[in-house]
Amino acid sequence: MSELLVIVQIAGRRCALGAHDVKSVIEIGAITPVPRAPDFIAGITALRSQTLTVIDCRRALGLDDADGPTDDRAVVVASGGHSYALMVDAIEDITTAAGAPGQVPGGFGAGWSRVAIGMIETMTGPALLIDLATLIAGPETARGEIEAAA
Amino acid sequence: MDDLLAEFIAETREMLEASGGEIVAWEADPDDRARLDAIFRFVHTVKGNCGFFDFPRLASLSHAAEDALADCRAGRREPDQVLVSAVLAIIDRIAAMVDAIEAGEDFPEGGDEDLIAALGDTSETAPEEGQEGDEDAPAPALHAPASALLERGEEAGTPFRRNDAAAQRTIRLPVELLDRVMSGVSDMVLARNDLAHRLRQAGNQPTIDGPFERLTAILSDVRDAITRMRMQRIETLLSVVPRMVRDLSAELGKQVMVDCDGGDVELDREMIETIRDPLTHLIRNAIDHGIEPPAARLAAGKREIGLLTIAARQSGNTIAILISDDGRGIAEEKVAAKALATGLITPAERSAMSRDKILNLIFEPGFSTAETVSTVSGRGVGLDVVRQNLEKVGGSIKVASQPGLGTQFTLQIPLTLSIIAGLTVEAGGQRFAIPQGYVEEIVQATASALDFTRMGEAALITFRGNRIPCLMLADVLGLDNADNARELTLALLRLASGDLFALVVDRIHSHGDLVVKPLAPAVMKNGLYAGSTLLDDGQPVLLLDVTNIAARHDLIADGRARVLQPVEDEAAFAAAAPRAMLFTDFAGRRSAVRLELVQRIETAPVSAIDRSLARPRAVIDGMILPLVGLPDAPLAGDKLRLLRLSDGACELLHAVREVEDAVEMTDALVAVPEDPLVEAITLVDGQPVALIDAHALFALHGEPPQPAEGLRPRCALPDSEWARTILAPLVTAAGYEVVPETSADPEVVSILFEDVYEAAAALGRTPPGPVIRLRDHPEESHAGATIYRYDREALLAALAATRKARPAGGQGQ
Repeated sequence: MSELLVIVQIAGRRCALGAHDVKSVIEIGAITPVPRAPDFIAGITALRSQTLTVIDCRRALGLDDADGPTDDRAVVVASGGHSYALMVDAIEDITTAAGAPGQVPGGFGAGWSRVAIGMIETMTGPALLIDLATLIAGPETARGEIEAAA
Repeated sequence: MDDLLAEFIAETREMLEASGGEIVAWEADPDDRARLDAIFRFVHTVKGNCGFFDFPRLASLSHAAEDALADCRAGRREPDQVLVSAVLAIIDRIAAMVDAIEAGEDFPEGGDEDLIAALGDTSETAPEEGQEGDEDAPAPALHAPASALLERGEEAGTPFRRNDAAAQRTIRLPVELLDRVMSGVSDMVLARNDLAHRLRQAGNQPTIDGPFERLTAILSDVRDAITRMRMQRIETLLSVVPRMVRDLSAELGKQVMVDCDGGDVELDREMIETIRDPLTHLIRNAIDHGIEPPAARLAAGKREIGLLTIAARQSGNTIAILISDDGRGIAEEKVAAKALATGLITPAERSAMSRDKILNLIFEPGFSTAETVSTVSGRGVGLDVVRQNLEKVGGSIKVASQPGLGTQFTLQIPLTLSIIAGLTVEAGGQRFAIPQGYVEEIVQATASALDFTRMGEAALITFRGNRIPCLMLADVLGLDNADNARELTLALLRLASGDLFALVVDRIHSHGDLVVKPLAPAVMKNGLYAGSTLLDDGQPVLLLDVTNIAARHDLIADGRARVLQPVEDEAAFAAAAPRAMLFTDFAGRRSAVRLELVQRIETAPVSAIDRSLARPRAVIDGMILPLVGLPDAPLAGDKLRLLRLSDGACELLHAVREVEDAVEMTDALVAVPEDPLVEAITLVDGQPVALIDAHALFALHGEPPQPAEGLRPRCALPDSEWARTILAPLVTAAGYEVVPETSADPEVVSILFEDVYEAAAALGRTPPGPVIRLRDHPEESHAGATIYRYDREALLAALAATRKARPAGGQGQ
C-alpha cells in the first residue's frame, strides 16, 4: 500500500486527499462570487481558460466556526467532469499511505463522518482520508435546500 | 452499420498505409520473415473484417493471399518474385476496392480470379481457391470480364487510391485530446487579449502592431478550425432511431417506417447530447399518439405502414430538425377543450385564437392530451419539458399539423453551445453575461420616462405603449441594489416563447463572443446560471439562464397571457397617438422624426464619416450609408450620434446633436408648406418641434443598400488588363458583379470585343446570355451593333437594356 496522499488541514484537522485526484496546487487569485449559491461555494475562479468552482471546505463540512485564515493556495481536484479548487487551512505535504483506511471507535463526528472514508496511517502520522465527491456535494442542509429549490 | 463500415474502411486504410513500407521492403527481400508476418497480418485482418460485411470479392482476395502467405510462413513454399508480385497486386486491388466502397461506387467486375490464379497453385491452397472461385465465378462470367484489367490492376488501382486518399485523409483522435487543444486555444486567445490590452496601454508601435494583427488573424482561424473539430455528425443521434422505432411500433402494434435524412449535418457534440432526450421524446410521441394502428389507417384510406420522417438541415448558425409523421394529426378541438378544462385559456380567448396558436398550446406546462397514459410516451414528462430543455440551449420548437394528414415538429437549435454572442452587464458591483440572442433592445432612460412603477413586489415599466414586467437583476441575485432609481439601464429580453421582460442592471459593459464553459452541478442547481465565461482580462463571469430566471418569476406567460399579448398590443397601437423620436439637430433646432422610421440610434466615430464627396456618407456595420444633418463646420469631439432611418428598402443616417426621447405627438400637426423638408410643426410639452418629412428626406437622400454578392446581375468581361482596370469599375458601379469569362450561365451578360465575338461566332461558341460587343475605334468600321469602348453612355445604356429585358430573372439568383 503505497498510495500517494496530499495532506491538508481543514478546520485544524489533518486530512488526506488521494494524490491522483489532485491535479495541481494553485495560488488562488480573484474569486468571483456566485450569488444565491450554497454558502460552501465561495465562488468561481479562472485557471487559465478553465473555470474552477471554489469550495470552502470548512463550510462544506457544515462546521460552524467557518471563519479564520485559509491558505492562499488551493488544491485543484477533478470530480464528475468538473474541476474544483478546495480552500483549506493549509497544504502540508505529499506522503505515502502506510495502511488501509480504517475506522476509529466512536466515529469522527457528524460532519466528518459524512465525508470521511476512514482514518489512514501515513508516513507522517494519521490523517482522515476524505471522499471528494461527498465533500464537494456540500453539507446535508445545503443539499436539502438546493433540492427543494430545484 | 454505416459507422461500422466507416470504421472498417478507416482501419483498412490505416493498415495499408502502415504496411506500405513493409510491402516495398518485402519485395526487395522476399526472405525477410518480419515483413512477411506484417503483410500476413494485414490480409488476415482484412479477411476477418470482411466477414462482418457482404464483400465476397474482398474476402476471397484476402483469403487467397492469406493462404499463399501462410504456406510461406509454414515453409511449404518459398516466396519468389512471382508470388510477391501477385500478393502486391492483390493488396493494391484491396485498396482500390476499399476506395470504391467508401465512395459508394461499384468496383469494375472481374479480374479477381486472375489475380488469385497468379498466386500460383500449390496443393494446399488449390481446394480453397477453387471454392472461392466458384463463389465468384458467375459474376464475371455474366458481366464480360475485361481480362485486361488484370494487367492494369496495379497501375489503375494505385492512382485511384492516391487521389482519393489525398482528398479524405483522416485520423482518429480521442475526444479528450481535442478538448485539450480547444482549451489550449482558448488560453491563447486570453493571452492574446491580455497582450492587446497592454499594447493599447503602450500606445501605437507599428513594428509590433503588424505581427500582432497577424497573430490575431491566425488565432481566429485556428479557433474556427478547432470548433469544427468538435463537431459531430448528427448521424450518431439518428443511427439509433430505426431500432427504437422498430421496438416501439412492435410494442404498440403499429407499423412504422422511418426515414432519416441529413445525417451529415454537423453539430457540437455537447449539443447532440442535449437534444438526444427531446428528440427521443418526440419520436415516441409521434408513434404513440400520431400514427394510427394499421386498421385505422386502412380505414382512412392510407397505407398500412405509417411513415416517420426525421430530417436535419443547417441554415446559418442554426440547425433545424423536422420530425414529421403521416398520422392522424393533432385535433384542434381536443387541444382547445383540454386547454379550457385545465384553465389555460378562457372560452373568449379560445374563439379568438388561430389554429396554429391552439396547437402550440401543447407545449404549455401541465398539458397532455393522451387520454390514457401509456408506458411509451406518458411518463410524467410532457412536451413542456421538451420545450424547456430546448430553450435552455437557446433553441425553440414549433408544431404544425393537418388533421388526418400528419404532424410536423420543427426544432431549431444553435450550432454550438460553446461559443455564443453575449452581452456583459453589471449589477451589484459584479459582472454577468446574457446571451445576445435574448436581447431585444437596450434602454437607458429616467425612471419617470419609463413610467417605472412598483406593484407590490413586482415592477412594471411602460415602453412604447406596452406595460412590460421588470426584474431587478440585483434583487434576482440577492445582491445589494445600488439604489439609483432616477436613471435606469435596462435590457429588454425576448424569450423564445415570445414573452418580453425588462431586466434592470446597473451598467451595460460590452458585447462579444463568449466561450461558454459548464459550471459545477452545485452551482447550476439554483437555476440562475447557464454557464460561465472568461472576460478579456481572464476574470470569470457567470452566464445568466434568462429563460429560467423568467420562469422563476412567473414571467413566462401561461397560455392566457401569451395569447392575449398581441391583442393588447394592437389595441394599444390603435389608441396611441403617432410617436416620434425627439432630437436636437446641429442647427440647435428641436426636431422629431416618426418613430417607425428609426431603426436604431448609432454612435459612430468621426473617422467613419466621409465628407470628401458632394454628399457626406458614413460607414455603419460595414455599410456605406448617406448621411444628412451634418453641420457645415468641422465636427467637434470624436464621436457622433446618428439616427439610422429606414423606409423599409433603403437606409440613411441623420446626424443629431442630442437624442432626447421618444414622445407621443398628441397635439395637432400643423403643416408647413414653405419648408419642403418639414412635414409639420407640433407642440411637445409646450415647445414647438419640427417633424421631418420622411418622404422628402428619402426622395432626396435615400439610396437603396447594395445588394449582397450573388444577388446582383452578373457580367463577364474580356480577360485583359484594360478590362480589369478600366472597364470593370464602370460595370461594377452600374450594379453588376464581375464574374469569370468562362461562364455558361444565360443570366450572365457578356462584354466582348468585336474580333473575339466574331471568332466565337464562327466556332458557334457565343455566350448563352446577352452580349455587348465593343470596338476599338470611335468610328464604326463595319455594320453591327458594336459600341466604342470609351462611349460611356452607350455602354451603360446597353447594360441597362439587358437588365430591362429580364427584370426579375436577373435578380432571382
